[in-house]
Amino acid sequence: MSEEAHDWGKHKKTYFIVGILLFIFTGITLALGLWAPLDMGPPGPTPADYVIGLLVASIKASLVALIFMHLNHEKGLIYKMLLFTFLFFVGLMVLTMFTQSDPIREQFDTLETTEGKLTEQ
Amino acid sequence: MEIPHEVTPRRDTGLYNAKLGVWLFLASEVMLFGGLFSAYVFLRLGVQDGVDNPWPWGLNVHKGFVWLGFINTLVLIASSVGVVFAWVALKERNWRRFQIYMYGVVACALVFMGIKTVEYNSKLTKHHGIKLVDNSVMEGKILDNTDEIRFEAKSAAFGLQGSAPIFLNEIAEEDFPTFTVQSEEEGDPVQLTSRGEFKRWFVQRRREVASELADERKRYRSELAKGAAAPQPVSVNTSATVTSEEPFTVRANPRNTVTHSDSTINFRDGSKVEGVLTGDDVIFELHEVDMQLVLPTRQRDSILWDVVDDEGAKKMFFDAQTKWYNKMRDYYEARGETIPEKMLRGHKLNLQNVHVGGGHGGKDHGDEGAKGGADQHAAVHHSETNPSASGGGKGDYGSITVPREKIKFMGNHGPRYNNYYGIYFTMTALHGLHVVGGAIVLLYFVVFGKRIYKKNPEHLANRVEVGGLFWHFVDLIWIFLFPIMYLL
Repeated sequence: MSEEAHDWGKHKKTYFIVGILLFIFTGITLALGLWAPLDMGPPGPTPADYVIGLLVASIKASLVALIFMHLNHEKGLIYKMLLFTFLFFVGLMVLTMFTQSDPIREQFDTLETTEGKLTEQ
Repeated sequence: MEIPHEVTPRRDTGLYNAKLGVWLFLASEVMLFGGLFSAYVFLRLGVQDGVDNPWPWGLNVHKGFVWLGFINTLVLIASSVGVVFAWVALKERNWRRFQIYMYGVVACALVFMGIKTVEYNSKLTKHHGIKLVDNSVMEGKILDNTDEIRFEAKSAAFGLQGSAPIFLNEIAEEDFPTFTVQSEEEGDPVQLTSRGEFKRWFVQRRREVASELADERKRYRSELAKGAAAPQPVSVNTSATVTSEEPFTVRANPRNTVTHSDSTINFRDGSKVEGVLTGDDVIFELHEVDMQLVLPTRQRDSILWDVVDDEGAKKMFFDAQTKWYNKMRDYYEARGETIPEKMLRGHKLNLQNVHVGGGHGGKDHGDEGAKGGADQHAAVHHSETNPSASGGGKGDYGSITVPREKIKFMGNHGPRYNNYYGIYFTMTALHGLHVVGGAIVLLYFVVFGKRIYKKNPEHLANRVEVGGLFWHFVDLIWIFLFPIMYLL
């Protein structure tokens, strides 16, 4: 029993440190938004800002998932389940790439008329 | 009944059942929120020029509330730490400490929802926007419900099929006039003195009209059957007109109307009131002007300046704009480039921090003369740019009169305002519901958990672990929502 009590003390220390880290990273997130020197690229939000902002958020999310949600030592079944969750989630995000393409227009681009490409008229 | 594997792990899964269950649930939650995050990315990447372009910058949307969002993030993190500590307290068989941590967590949830309420309230009731016909936008507050069309009506015409006419709900109960309606049969006209009376009369007339119509159709068909070449067509009067001796006030919600003129309002259900228009101008307390959707070459003679009619304000706007342009130019010149056209149309023109309007009692330095004749609201005041005072919607702004024909869209900052607000409210409200749900479950554990704790403390510990997993997930969602909604 005494050995177990010691064990929990160590856990509590970890949880406390992770809590502090999360607070610090939240501060960093805010600073990235508000403090001009940390504003990457031209003024205002730019892709570089998104990447860094989401990176910090991902670090925070990983800390919560790994430590608070015990995903650093979990049974295999849960990892298998989460693998599928992850794949489907990636699928959802990949869908958004359709905003960058215009399949209908692309189809027209391949249709050539006697006076050149259809879309150039 | 004994439920198996509440405490001991199942041999095949290696887990106690609730844990497997909650992870399956969280997997489905990832899909739910994943779909919404995907929708957010879709909306943001798919902005169309001139419609929602540029996507609003979270910092400009929220301003003072960025700090509240920050505090909310810390509150949720603190509550997450609280949940694991409560769980550890149970593992150490310390009921008292478990209680303290758990009540702390629930208190955090209450603080979170309290802050959310303040924020929602501000957006839904304290801030409005008006998009003018050339896509320039004014932000501020519509005063005295002047988005409604004010009308002194004498009569109303409407159909006797379908539901009760819309105009009925646009008359205040205490202003309800005495309507006179000529009855179809010979006899005295009917008097209607209240909304309830009107509705009863309407329902009765509707039934009569329906049966008249049925009779007419029957007659038509039977005449056809008898061999008449061209029977008298079906004809029933399905409309009615009510009049009032005294003019009555109608305050029409513009969304319920199709058109209106000096003498008529046409509602979207086909009903119509006639009388005299008393006013359809919007009195607007102007906080900000936003030209992001107006081409740079058209900005100086945007109709917004006709509406605002204040040279000081205009100068202030373009001074601030020049400052922003210079910042942008410096950035690109340092790299030996010129400002891309895309950036010129984008955040460069973002002047949401410029406040047109000023203190009524302070450092006014503008033309204060009344511009709208007797209209006390016509004068526009302005003061120094003060971005920090913008979040809470503090008073001290001048107000202007906006003619309705110059308005393309107006509304509060609710989900309808634009795509940003649509996805913002969808995601944060769904997240808020999760916070409420999670807090109720955790509160249940601490209030009613003692019995289970006495019987088998490990059972309660497992329950708290599972509830905690959900709580951490809710925290995790917010970790992403905060930067994408408030900062980027």
